[in-house]
Amino acid sequence: MAHKKNRNVAIIGVGQTKHSSHREDVNQPEMIHEAVSAALKDANLSIKDIDCIVHGNMELFEMIHQPDLWHVLGTGAYGKDSIRITTGGTVGTTLACASDNLVASGMYDIVMAIGFEKLQEGHTTGGITNMADPLWFRNLQTGALTGSTAYDVIQEFGEDRAKRAAMMYRIVMDKHACLNPNAHRAFGLDFDQVETLMNTSPQLVGELRLIHMCSQSDGACAVIFACEKKAKELSKKPVWIRDHITIHREETFNIFGYHKDFPVLKTHKFAAEQLFKRNDIKNPLEYFDVFEMYDPAAWWGLDWLRDFFFLKGDEHLRLVENKEIMIGGSMPINPSGGVIATNPIGATALLRVAEAALQVRGDAGAHQIPKEVKHALASGFGGTMWTVLMMLEKELSW
Amino acid sequence: MALDYDRKDCFIVEGKLALPYSYFAGRVGSTFITTLRDKKKIMGVKCPVCNKVYLPPRQTCERDLTDIRDNWVEVQPSGEVVNFTVVRYDDKHLPKKAPFVMALIKLDGADTPIVHILDGIAPEEVKIGMKVEAVFSSSPTNTILDISHFAPKKPEKAFVSERKPSGAKGEEPVISEEEKLLKERRKAMSKKVIITAALAGAATMKNQTPSVPYTPQEFAEEAYKCYKAGAAMVHVHAREDNGMPTHDHKRIKDTHDAIKEKCPDIIVNLSSAVGMGKTAEQRISQIVYVKPEMASLNTNTMNFSIIDRKTGKIFIDFVFENTFTMLQDFGKAMEENGVKPEVEVYDLGGLDNWLLISKQGFFTKPYNFNFVWGVAGGMSFRPDMFMVLKNALPEDSNFTTCGVGIEQFPAITMSCLVGGHMRVGLEDNIRVPNGELAKGSYEQVEWAVRIAESLGREPATPDEAREIMGLRKR
Ligand SMILES: [Zn+2]
Repeated sequence: MAHKKNRNVAIIGVGQTKHSSHREDVNQPEMIHEAVSAALKDANLSIKDIDCIVHGNMELFEMIHQPDLWHVLGTGAYGKDSIRITTGGTVGTTLACASDNLVASGMYDIVMAIGFEKLQEGHTTGGITNMADPLWFRNLQTGALTGSTAYDVIQEFGEDRAKRAAMMYRIVMDKHACLNPNAHRAFGLDFDQVETLMNTSPQLVGELRLIHMCSQSDGACAVIFACEKKAKELSKKPVWIRDHITIHREETFNIFGYHKDFPVLKTHKFAAEQLFKRNDIKNPLEYFDVFEMYDPAAWWGLDWLRDFFFLKGDEHLRLVENKEIMIGGSMPINPSGGVIATNPIGATALLRVAEAALQVRGDAGAHQIPKEVKHALASGFGGTMWTVLMMLEKELSW
Repeated sequence: MALDYDRKDCFIVEGKLALPYSYFAGRVGSTFITTLRDKKKIMGVKCPVCNKVYLPPRQTCERDLTDIRDNWVEVQPSGEVVNFTVVRYDDKHLPKKAPFVMALIKLDGADTPIVHILDGIAPEEVKIGMKVEAVFSSSPTNTILDISHFAPKKPEKAFVSERKPSGAKGEEPVISEEEKLLKERRKAMSKKVIITAALAGAATMKNQTPSVPYTPQEFAEEAYKCYKAGAAMVHVHAREDNGMPTHDHKRIKDTHDAIKEKCPDIIVNLSSAVGMGKTAEQRISQIVYVKPEMASLNTNTMNFSIIDRKTGKIFIDFVFENTFTMLQDFGKAMEENGVKPEVEVYDLGGLDNWLLISKQGFFTKPYNFNFVWGVAGGMSFRPDMFMVLKNALPEDSNFTTCGVGIEQFPAITMSCLVGGHMRVGLEDNIRVPNGELAKGSYEQVEWAVRIAESLGREPATPDEAREIMGLRKR
């Protein structure tokens, strides 16, 4: 049984900016306004139709206190109810979950979630450093970079196969990004570059190389949620939210390695188990048609496939090696290009939900997957070790 | 009192976060700062939907999300203090040595206040409502400190102060109960006076005074000046480019709309007389088409001629036809279309005509009358006649007055004195009281403001005028 809902909720509009490394031409509210107007236009609504604004980004990344108040000029929250949410990298999916809950509860009929980040203006590491305890960890942490997953995958599958699979994953993401006009980084990489990139891309931490890592982007995303009655009235293609789950169960923040007796980074698996069990989904790989995953680095994206889909042995590597994760494959991952291509952090996880919704609608344009999308999955990941999963459906039929 | 407790074995982590950042100002913010720096001009943006002038400027109106990035308007470097605080401690992040005043200042022409330093005055002398002006910095800073600070405004010779746009009341400053009572009493004593500017009429031509407007643009400019000077309403007879009065719907609407675009706050009162030789249909259909907030309604058929005032010689003889049927039909058409009639009273008989027809009950309260003096065919201005008319008005009536030629200023002064309103403008008179040609209707408005002030009355804003006369804002 999915978690109890007072009423059904659907996504009826999505909007995003073109994402890039710099947006000198607009200030924060102006940039956000681009996504807000795009979402309103997509839903064919005006700001008057929105009952509540849910605003989110990373804490202090732009060095601005109470950004939701600064941004009213662009969000349209003037005179409306409004909430700010910040849960780290997951914030975008948390915005979606909160919006779903706010509508499902009956409190509001139409809610707009807005995630944004202008990483170029702030100092990401300065902000991230604050999440570590000043007494125990602040002097010891490395920010968002970690080489431990690369180390683990190499230990398990051998150096050559592991490195190739990670670089394959990376190149697939780039190929997808090249089809997405809003993506930030789209290099035009090809599979014959696997070996060169494996050896020449600058190392960040161990085998985590620059090319594997996500970007720092400026951009915003807005998604409009409506109750069943309004969604059916207002939208030809509402995308239904079936269920969502939020998990954080790490006792200790440790990203540089672990002992088998002290497992970390297993929130993905735990979240997927709980969510799929209560929705009676036995084989998620078969059930879902597409997955927009929060994949901050190629090694993580590769490794996490196993956690999300309950895969055994090297099944996740084979999915990548056989290009089953490509648009047109059996389980397309991130047709949008994912987080490695585009990462305006506060918007990133909301973009996963937005892109998954576009796939369900069939409106993703050049990066639309060729088969009908009935069931889509979106994930968020962030500090400190949280997982958020959201299931989207084409039909109200579960 | 210091809190005394045991700090033994309490370790404190002393840290410091250096957090560099940059802020992309956006194009609107950039234009504001560079214009301030390079031209010493303070620029706001105006929302055409809600008519607010935002300062600092922004790309979208927060109220209706209208894109206003290109609607630049220059605001005045002067304004008034709407709130303030006195900074009484020194800290390195502060822009000045304490004590100093930080004030919220609403610049003239803007609807939103900005924060800045107020200097050149002792903190205890600062008052909410005081007039201040910008002092620009001598060398560029690339920040808002290109306005170095604000200082009390030096008194000017001009006796006309620019009016506040109506509706922009802002937050009421905190005042004591005593002050509040005093304010209430003062308010009760001084009733607001509505100043109307009749910009053109049907007969005033450019060869008499170049300031009379013909084109929609000229009407708009002239209306705006009158508004700035203190007029709440303009009365309009639209003209062709050659100056001929017109009943053409499009031209009248263009003229009306041009005025409202340039000056959205102001009330437009259209003539239902239009000009000589127009049919009843031509006179009323344009009112129904344009639906102004107010229109003139004439009460009697009369001579409306041009006669030499000194010799009595007839230049143009004309009968201005306003039958009972027309009074009834025009009145009904206006009421049905939400256009408030301004009842034109050229003599006591006209008022009696209206009183008769009004028995049908279609006129809505409050009623608004205009006593017109000095038309050749109507009555000349006589104070006792003024009182006769005033005393004959039904309950819930407002009255204003206008006079042709030299009767203009005596008549409006009397009206203001006995609680009525005032109409000036080049339609009625092309001169100011000292005999010189008026620079425009606005200069007569300035004189009217002066009369009002000397009689202890304050010019009404358009919204206040709407409230008094019972108009629906368009
Ligand atoms: Zn507006």
